[in-house]
Amino acid sequence: MILFSIVLIAWLVLRPSITATRGGKMLAFVALLIFPALAGGMGVNRHIERSKTTNFCLSCHVMEDYGKSLRVDDRSFVPATHFQYNLVPRDQACYTCHTDYTMYGDVSAKLRGLKHVYAYYLGTPSRPIKLYQPYNNRECLRCHLGARSFEESEAHNKDPQTLSRIKANQLSCSTSECHNVIHNVGQLKEATFWKEQGK
Amino acid sequence: MNKRPTKIERRIRLAGILLIGGLLVELVTLRWGRPTAFLFFLLPGGALMASGIVVYLISLVSAENKPSPE
Repeated sequence: MILFSIVLIAWLVLRPSITATRGGKMLAFVALLIFPALAGGMGVNRHIERSKTTNFCLSCHVMEDYGKSLRVDDRSFVPATHFQYNLVPRDQACYTCHTDYTMYGDVSAKLRGLKHVYAYYLGTPSRPIKLYQPYNNRECLRCHLGARSFEESEAHNKDPQTLSRIKANQLSCSTSECHNVIHNVGQLKEATFWKEQGK
Repeated sequence: MNKRPTKIERRIRLAGILLIGGLLVELVTLRWGRPTAFLFFLLPGGALMASGIVVYLISLVSAENKPSPE
């Protein structure tokens, strides 16, 4: 599409006189307006889709340890379990858990991404990396809500209030001593790592 | 016999050059997997494409189809 547009535009640049004819005017309209607008839109879409991939997130040096934490051979590490057991798509592992499942969640995630690029190249990324706000249970419940393992779990039903408090985000999944081993990059030195077969 | 380009033709040529520049930037950034690729795509690439389209639209609305003076 891009190459075809370039060829058409180059032809118009070399022979602009063809725009004097009716066919030439139509060609110019398509080549100079429709095709570039389409190519631009498709380019934005392609860049946004690529920015959702795990490889893209881990291409920044500061994310290296977070990438390693996905391969820790310990089921208590929540992201590692999700990654290794395909509970999230591996090629979009970061994006799946770190986007807000709200109407403009994707947009705000991408705007935050631009801020990260700025901090990475022109500023100083915070060490250790911190979330902008406490992790919302909504992001967990997007998949777990209604699942038998979640709804009927003994721990979730010990106290009749627990389940409703989790669903209302009053009792955090990740900071209430239940699933609190997240990336824990400080423990990576002692950790053993899962080696994916065939890789 | 060489005819001098009209104003619209010169603007179309300029629009074309800007658009080719923008599309080339897009082509390069799509093959580049780093986060900076999007910024390059958006800033120089987007600016070139947008200005190319604007120049073309201006050529449509303000063109006098006469040869330009030398």
